Amino acid sequence: MADRYSFSLTTFSPSGKLVQIEYALNAVNQGVTALGIKGKPTKPLAQADAHANFLPTATNGIVLATEKKASSPLQDPTSLSKISLVTPNIGMVYAGMGPDYRVLVDKARKVSHTNYKRIYNEYPPTRILVQDVARVMQDATQSGGVRPYGVSLLIAGWDEGVLSDEELEKLQAGETSSDDDEDEDEDGNKKKASGKTGGILRGGPMLYQVDPSGSYFPWKATAIGKSATSAKTFLEKRYTEGLELEDAVHIALLTLKEHIEGEMSGDTIEIGIVGPPAHHLLGMEGVEGAQGPRFRKLTPHEIEDYLTNL
Amino acid sequence: MCTDHGCASFIDKAYRCDQPEWAMPHQAEARLRVDEPHEDQLLERPTHLQHTKQPFPGYHQKMEVLLGITGKDFTIVASSKAAMRGATILKAQDVKQRQLNKSSLLAYSGEAGDTVQFAEYIQANTQLYSMRNEADLSPSAIAHFVRGELATSLRSRKPYNVNLLLGGLDPITLKPSLYWLDYLASLAPVPYAAHGYAQYYCLSILDKHHNPDIDLETGIKLLNMCTDELKRRMPIDFKGMTVKAVTKDGVIDIDFDDDKVVKSA
Amino acid sequence: MVGKDCVAIACDLRLGLQALTVSNNFPKIFQYGDVLLGLTGLATDVATVSDLFRYKVNMYRLREERNIAPSTFANLVSSSLYERRFGPYFVSPVVAGLDQKTGKPFICGFDSIGCIDFAKDFIVSGTATEQLFGMCESLWEPDMVRLDLDFRTLFPPGIFFYMMILLKNGQLNHDVECSTIMHIICTSDLNFTNASYQSTFATGFDEFFANNLNLLDDLQCPEDLFETISQALLNAVDRDALSGWGAHVYIIEKDKVTKRLLKGRQD
Repeated sequence: MADRYSFSLTTFSPSGKLVQIEYALNAVNQGVTALGIKGKPTKPLAQADAHANFLPTATNGIVLATEKKASSPLQDPTSLSKISLVTPNIGMVYAGMGPDYRVLVDKARKVSHTNYKRIYNEYPPTRILVQDVARVMQDATQSGGVRPYGVSLLIAGWDEGVLSDEELEKLQAGETSSDDDEDEDEDGNKKKASGKTGGILRGGPMLYQVDPSGSYFPWKATAIGKSATSAKTFLEKRYTEGLELEDAVHIALLTLKEHIEGEMSGDTIEIGIVGPPAHHLLGMEGVEGAQGPRFRKLTPHEIEDYLTNL
Repeated sequence: MCTDHGCASFIDKAYRCDQPEWAMPHQAEARLRVDEPHEDQLLERPTHLQHTKQPFPGYHQKMEVLLGITGKDFTIVASSKAAMRGATILKAQDVKQRQLNKSSLLAYSGEAGDTVQFAEYIQANTQLYSMRNEADLSPSAIAHFVRGELATSLRSRKPYNVNLLLGGLDPITLKPSLYWLDYLASLAPVPYAAHGYAQYYCLSILDKHHNPDIDLETGIKLLNMCTDELKRRMPIDFKGMTVKAVTKDGVIDIDFDDDKVVKSA
Repeated sequence: MVGKDCVAIACDLRLGLQALTVSNNFPKIFQYGDVLLGLTGLATDVATVSDLFRYKVNMYRLREERNIAPSTFANLVSSSLYERRFGPYFVSPVVAGLDQKTGKPFICGFDSIGCIDFAKDFIVSGTATEQLFGMCESLWEPDMVRLDLDFRTLFPPGIFFYMMILLKNGQLNHDVECSTIMHIICTSDLNFTNASYQSTFATGFDEFFANNLNLLDDLQCPEDLFETISQALLNAVDRDALSGWGAHVYIIEKDKVTKRLLKGRQD
């Protein structure tokens, strides 16, 4: 029986479109808005310890935010969670169909181990994880008997760079000085080498969107879901380079506020941040080389604090 | 570094050992270094292959002679003419060689059925490549292809038991080359080589007299020195040698006097 | 073997069937970007495993658009070998490289099923393991340096002599301050307690370090490491019947890898 219907449901229409994928995108565009902004962290927000050092001009943090709508006042809001942790440094949020998202979170967590942690004994860089998740979603557009996933994802993570501190400093000096004149010296060459997709050599925060088709895009700030278009217009106006992470959270909340129907509270808003290592979440102290997770969700209490300052 | 039965018995011990499994590699390694394996062990198959009930290369297989010599512009490949089964010589005009393409030649020894089967498999594939691409594979490319096939075979249910010499001239640079391969898929590029017991007699002669600039005539003289020594020292008659050489003109047969009588020492 | 801001890895070139040498040109070190892998054991597995990692590292580079880090590679080696836990490759690998971010030396060794042995000094493997342990244990020192400056022109003989002792003991590196050196000298067995000597030495050292702040640039760390690892290897294999016949030595520095061929004994 199974093989009888194992042709792909996603087939080309005569006009060359894959309408199943477009339907999946329609499902996404009816979903609750989620957004992500890259910014720069500040210590009080992240409760960073004194050891965490930040590069002066790098944008070093990310906010993911979404609205969490309970369908009934009887529902326990703490049981609902839309932002998920994938690895200690990577988390994600979605717009679209909740059940599909949960499957993808499971698979993302699984592939981060099978394809990476269990081989290299370290967690995958964001782009690698994004590609793995994108492959899962792409597979669903070409395999027999399955439908595409009805979700778009925002995946935020922080990558360990491989450049030494001097190289990083040189790189930044080069970026600020050589905006107007392109110098082709040694530094210039190095800059090119590290100017690859996602700046993987340099490391730092990475924000990606993944669509049901399996395509993915890196963003400085973006939104997905019901009011993605207007939210993006809003973000374009508000976004500046080198945003403080605290301001990024602020902007995220302002953007949500524009498009939200109900009341905003710690229970109806969900926020995840990529910031400095959160050692307080490690559950232990005094272990050499142990680093807290960089991705963490803000508590309802923390969110309330931001909302009062809105 | 070892390619041989020393390690084969290492494989064997690693699995036969009564020790808990986690202790084995070290145990086995220590054994490998301390004890030279006994001749009997050389005939044993590694445990993971034992269920195939096929003996390891026996004495008679090691009596087969394969010789290879490179020089300035040629590679000589020679093989003994005797086809043996145990102590019996079944055939005295056996040619244990296959020409693979215009510029390479494969000589083989080992388990009776495996040798021809494997050599012809390699021959067919190199010829297929030549037909498809209208270009010959270089000896180096063939050597690595053969190694890959042998390596896959080694860890299969029934491995090929074949030792090989691959001689040739690079079709573009015309540089002569010779590759030594054994049934464990160890591959080594060498200036001169032998397989079986012949190694013990010939390599020392070649160590002394060979240099990379020799011409074909000198190469054949060296070959004669080797075969003379083999006739003098080896306990059985290997029925003379089939001698071929790869030169810029392709593979040529070399007349070789098998009837020459060598006085024993 | 670890040096100061550099690492080295070396192998012999013999391929043999027990006592019979088949080839004296069988290298056992393979380079994957900035990381080097040494493989001893069954020759066929040396070839198979080195090819396997060539494939895996190339795929890694294409996927990640960066070179694999030594520690990452070590974990890859470990997981790949353990995958064959019940039918292992008969190899004992050694990995050497410099940390991409910090430039810190990284070396480690493995057993045939991938158990990692991290070390901060040296790793040995192969048939001459015991001999290599002995050689390395006696030749290796932390932060090995060789001074190519002629101290005799800069110092009175006594100080030169003492500097050599400090070097020998590995006490002279940039962590040691002048005053510490002075203290060691003045309180040493050499009995340089005479006050005038002390002041001479003091001014001597102060001047020396003032005038030679680039002293550490002239310390020939890679050269000394090369000398040490080469002597360790050559003398170890000379006492082993199953190895030797030439050697390859790789010195890995921050921005370059130097490969040298040692002819060695061919008998």
